Amino acid sequence: MLLVLIRAIKGPTVIDRLVAINVIGTKSIVLLLFAGILFGQLEMFVDIALGYGLLNYIVSIAASRYYQHRKCLEPVHAAQGRQPS
Amino acid sequence: MPSLPIWEFDVLLLVLVVLFALISLSIRNLMGAAIVFGAYSFMMCLIWAGMGAVDVAFTEAAVGAGVSTVFIVSTIYNTSATMQNKPGGLTFKLFIGLVVTLTGAFLLSALPDFPEWGDSESPANAVVAPYYIKNTITDAHVPNVVTSVLADYRGFDTLLETTVVFIACIAIYSILRTETAKSKTDEPEEEIAVLPSYDPSDSLIVRQASRFMIPFMQLFALYVIAHGHYSPGGGFQGGVILGASLILLAISFDLKFLLGHWSEKSLMLLVASGVFLYAAVGLACVFMGGNYLDYVVLDPILPGKGDMARSHGILLVEIGVGITVMFSMVAIHINLASNGRFDRGL
Repeated sequence: MLLVLIRAIKGPTVIDRLVAINVIGTKSIVLLLFAGILFGQLEMFVDIALGYGLLNYIVSIAASRYYQHRKCLEPVHAAQGRQPS
Repeated sequence: MPSLPIWEFDVLLLVLVVLFALISLSIRNLMGAAIVFGAYSFMMCLIWAGMGAVDVAFTEAAVGAGVSTVFIVSTIYNTSATMQNKPGGLTFKLFIGLVVTLTGAFLLSALPDFPEWGDSESPANAVVAPYYIKNTITDAHVPNVVTSVLADYRGFDTLLETTVVFIACIAIYSILRTETAKSKTDEPEEEIAVLPSYDPSDSLIVRQASRFMIPFMQLFALYVIAHGHYSPGGGFQGGVILGASLILLAISFDLKFLLGHWSEKSLMLLVASGVFLYAAVGLACVFMGGNYLDYVVLDPILPGKGDMARSHGILLVEIGVGITVMFSMVAIHINLASNGRFDRGL
């Protein structure tokens, strides 16, 4: 977790941060389940962890969609040499 | 549970929260800031879970992990990812700094009046909470006290919260929505013309994966709404997950694809109908001779034995909340992603 944190904090590019945050999200699912075991109420925390797992990757898809569209748009702004991606 | 290392864990997480907040403020690229801000909400969710507030943690997980970052990303998509320093704004910045500092100092000055964390003698813990904990099973047959407080004892608050969601959706809709796709004043014309209508093959894996995942998400969300009586969850969380599943559909396929299934008119009608369902349950109670949102008098028209009426009433209300939240999320996302044109977007 610490290594991922370093990558999320320093992260030269946005993509580094994106991957790091995704890994943190995956790890927090595990942490949630550990908290559930500690509290002795695993069935409560399984729900949260499931919701987390189902929703965690939407941000990644949205961000990648963003980059896909932006790459398509940049040559248009330069008004030259646009090619279908 | 005396031996749990909750306190140390909380301190670690709080340090991380402050760290992430500072980082996301210091990053100049707004996209990176938005993504780091996602990690902030992960940490908040862990803090809530560590405190044992599972319902709040669930809300934080659903909203923070699923929807809010997507909203920010689609906003950035329609504006720009780089900050622009406005010239000559120093006095304005100083003014804002002054206002923020004064407000912070004012809020901190109220801090000593609060009871200690976990103080059993504080007014909330000494008077109200024991009543809820003692009576929720006999009153409403709902083991999850949070749900019964939310939708039954404090039903008025939740009705107004749902109305706030509705009003927020209407506000965003009325600000952003533009009638036609011809708003060429703020965007160059050619950009609209050559924006690629990407071929169906470009993201096959994402499409198939989301086609596989979305039914499970929706099933899980329905479980969260319906099972909110027994486990963490309820209308808000389930509604957010349902909305997130439709947003995922819009992202992985196309905005047009989503709008082909849910037209603009039906979306807004459903946003309103959720609040309407909630208010109608309350009115039905009045017509049956009770107080507003007093579910006990609904007993003759609801199935089940006599004392289950409040439980069923809570379920009806939660369904109303879920409908409003779900379609508000979808409508807000469509507005933000397509810049109010409802044609294409993120």
